Amino acid sequence: MTAQVERELETETEELTVREAIRQALREELDRDEDVFLIGEDIGKFGGVLEVTGDLYEEFGEERVRDTPISEAGFTGAATGAAATGTRPVVELMFSDFSGVAMEQIMNQMAKMRYMFGGKAEMPLTVRTTEGGGMGAASQHSGTVHSWIAHFPGLKAVAPGTAAAAKGLTKAAIRSNDPVFVFENKMIYEQTGQVPTDEDFTVPIGEAAVEREGEDVTVVATQRLVGESLETAESIADDVDVEVIDTRSLYPLDTETIVESVRKTGRLIVADESPLSYGTHAEIVARVQEEAFFSLDAPIQRVGTPDTHMPFSPPLENEVLPDGDDVRAAIERIS
Amino acid sequence: MADYDLESAEGRVEALRRMVLIRAFDEEAGDRFADGEIPGFVHLYIGEEAVGVGTCGALEPDDYIASTHRGHGHCIAKGLDPKYMMAELYGKSEGYCNGKGGSMHIADVDAGMLGANGIVGAGPPLATGAALSIDYQDRDQVAVGFLGDGAVAQGQVHEAINLASTWDLPAVFVVENNQYGEGTPVEKQHNVDNLSDTAGAYDIPGLTVDGMDVTAVAEAVSEARSRARAGEGPTLVEAETYRYRGHYEGDEEPYRDEEEIERWKDRDPIESFKDRLIDRGELTESEFEEMQAEAEAEIDAAIEYAQDADLPEPREAYDDMFAEMPPEIERFAGAARTDGGRPGGDRP
Amino acid sequence: MADADRSRSSTRVGLLVNPAAGRDVRRLTGGASVVDNYAKRRVAECVLEGLTLADPPLEVVAMPDRTGIARDAIETADESLATDILEMDLEGTAADTRTAATRFRETVDAAVVLGGDGTTRDVAAEIGPVPVVAVSTGTNNVVPAPVDGTLAGAAAALVASGAVPADEVTTRHGRVEAEVRSGTASGDGRRLTALASAELSSRSFVGTRGLLDPADLRGGVVSRAHPGDVGLPAVAGALVDSPLAGDDPGGVAVRLEEPSGADRLVRAVVAPGVLATVGIESWRRLEPGETATFDLADGVVGADGERELEATDATVELRPIEDGPRLVDPLQTLEIGARNGGFDVGTRASSGSE
Repeated sequence: MTAQVERELETETEELTVREAIRQALREELDRDEDVFLIGEDIGKFGGVLEVTGDLYEEFGEERVRDTPISEAGFTGAATGAAATGTRPVVELMFSDFSGVAMEQIMNQMAKMRYMFGGKAEMPLTVRTTEGGGMGAASQHSGTVHSWIAHFPGLKAVAPGTAAAAKGLTKAAIRSNDPVFVFENKMIYEQTGQVPTDEDFTVPIGEAAVEREGEDVTVVATQRLVGESLETAESIADDVDVEVIDTRSLYPLDTETIVESVRKTGRLIVADESPLSYGTHAEIVARVQEEAFFSLDAPIQRVGTPDTHMPFSPPLENEVLPDGDDVRAAIERIS
Repeated sequence: MADYDLESAEGRVEALRRMVLIRAFDEEAGDRFADGEIPGFVHLYIGEEAVGVGTCGALEPDDYIASTHRGHGHCIAKGLDPKYMMAELYGKSEGYCNGKGGSMHIADVDAGMLGANGIVGAGPPLATGAALSIDYQDRDQVAVGFLGDGAVAQGQVHEAINLASTWDLPAVFVVENNQYGEGTPVEKQHNVDNLSDTAGAYDIPGLTVDGMDVTAVAEAVSEARSRARAGEGPTLVEAETYRYRGHYEGDEEPYRDEEEIERWKDRDPIESFKDRLIDRGELTESEFEEMQAEAEAEIDAAIEYAQDADLPEPREAYDDMFAEMPPEIERFAGAARTDGGRPGGDRP
Repeated sequence: MADADRSRSSTRVGLLVNPAAGRDVRRLTGGASVVDNYAKRRVAECVLEGLTLADPPLEVVAMPDRTGIARDAIETADESLATDILEMDLEGTAADTRTAATRFRETVDAAVVLGGDGTTRDVAAEIGPVPVVAVSTGTNNVVPAPVDGTLAGAAAALVASGAVPADEVTTRHGRVEAEVRSGTASGDGRRLTALASAELSSRSFVGTRGLLDPADLRGGVVSRAHPGDVGLPAVAGALVDSPLAGDDPGGVAVRLEEPSGADRLVRAVVAPGVLATVGIESWRRLEPGETATFDLADGVVGADGERELEATDATVELRPIEDGPRLVDPLQTLEIGARNGGFDVGTRASSGSE
């Protein structure tokens, strides 16, 4: 299903920022299901360091919007134990770089419990976390680590590029009985978009969206690079007709939508902020060559971070942070 | 009420029976592992029976426990069926985890057993989480996190106890101090002498009890459970005990001598409790012998059940990864290697 | 005393720090405080500092422990002190305390004991007439004094060096002997000796040892009785016309019953943080060695608030005995010591009092 079709079905929309869309998703799910609670560092009265939870604390109280000590392993582990015993926690890991602190509980408990127990454990758990460079937050607060999580069996991973996807995926993650990581790129919190107001609107996990239809080149993008690819596509629309797909989910990945597009265009750019080696780009490339090798008319291009950490100083950060210009250059290389 | 209550004579006999059953289970598991019938590795609970049985005797049936890599005793103490446990050790599909977990991940969440755990120190955060669920939904339960002496050095244990105490959660942490973290003696792992002294860091009570005495463990955990239910938060109970066998079966134990092992065996938790019950007129020697014979018969039956049980179908390897199976796995589930092949890709 | 004379004296003080901690269920059920080993080490360091009062300097010999409390404390001791650690095998149990006390009996002039009633009891069993400064670090303590370690060390220095005659500042505390006279096969003839009180509990098992519930207390015999004590001595203290001091001869037997059926009820601090209403069936003073016999259908004989011996269908004989530890009164020692010039430093010709 394309995003356009979805929007036609959902007649009523409102304009929200990505931040507001996520907060609205949290609010609606807290309202809908008493078993849902939020847990994380400074998500209560503080409203979240990037202000995503905002006023939810005032609305739902400290039991349902629970501040934690700075204790990622502890509260991620506790959320894992809670999810296995009848509640539906939504964890906020302030920065995805901090997932390293909690990784034991993520990889050995959260991801494995259902499987190790022969299916006899539920794990309805959502982990929201922020990614991405661009605000001078330096190496330990700017990472894009979603390839780790998407790679690790037993975890699902989504990474919205639009406000609508942010809302729909957050709601779908909370309703899912599987552990789902929602990777929020912190540079697009202020990006606006039309978002369905229907409280039952969700974006199914594992479905990509064609955000712009085109005939010549397919750009498969994630997060911030969805918007930047759309802008690039518009700016070169007279020369190249670019199709832009927001993968929305990283795992499961909507191979079908991507492959279908490549079969049409014969050309593929993969644009994702994660480091280039051994990651999200490689996975998408591999699937396309498995499924659409004979439809390709040009070498596949990758746009990503060139295997460095995110440096602090603006000129350094600008140097390595992938953007719309990189997408344009990649398109130009193969068009 | 608990399945067995050490406040009553009947409950005490039942507690003894469970200790005997645990020992019979683990002795047999050790033998079958040595014979090569049980794959992987097994960590035996022999010598530590009073800790698991004392703890679970102080709990209600729907309370939770999060176990350790040495989990067989906790399972039996919590009331799991040795038949399905043994089937799990044998990797059979009738096992508690359908053969996916084995000894180190044996679990029965419905029975409140949140799993043995291969990661030292990973249980306490899960117990804190279960206590969080209980607290959040205002349920009349507690969650017990078992951990070994080695796990007290783990960062996530500190985080778990800190959370539970900061939030006054209905949790109890039971440190099974069996004197060795793998092969390293406890005094080379910790600067504190009594591991329960770490409780002071969380402003919760800590107590060290004789882990070879099932009544001492039960009394301490019972008090801790009462505190937890009264909203007073967690308690740290250290039970001093000893594992008679190596860290895992096959461990050559260069780190200790026979004399030390014998010294602890003199205080054997089963023998000493049996003697006390006989003294009290709650059991006779012949009843005890009968109890042992029944336990051995039950374990023999469990072995037979496990041997006869079906191995899982290879394609079951793809089940249970998720509540909702993603296409990435589905494509293999539909084309298991043993069914004749892997999925292909694009064709020219 | 001239500086030239500041050679080593042959005066020796024993230091015994009981590392066993954390085993008291009253940490959960009552208001017992927690004294961790780091705190004990600091108290031991204070004791060592106090011991430097002696002139000429003393020798200190300490009981070793697996935690290294004594070793670590000694490392910080003033270099004027000659320090040593007993060579002994450690079991990590109360047997260590008794072993050390046995050695102290022959080799020291005074001992400082850091622990609770249980530790003092174990020391008393072996140390004979050696003066003991008992410093409370345990919980629920009746006998050891809650005195600062530095003062305890100073008092020990004064007594050990003879600056204060031991006879003037020590008293011999009584004890209570218990014997399980009948009962089941394995229980017959077992004995224990308590310091302040031997008590009977209706709880079946030793379990976590401390008193869990005041209703479990069935009575017993005390060697002292004062409303300012804690436990059965406090109950007895609420009954007697005038307090019975630890060194007074004899003791008091107290029999308790359910408060609902009792003719007399008293309030007493039966454990730290537990002020209970206790039903009194009867009580009487006992002469030294006089036996009070109790029936115990199913319960435990305890010493100083800790359950020790399980018994069923037993007759338990309890009697006060006189040969308890020779306890130093630290504050009195310091007073007399000051009067005797024990705190004076050699004065310059131009200074000093008129």
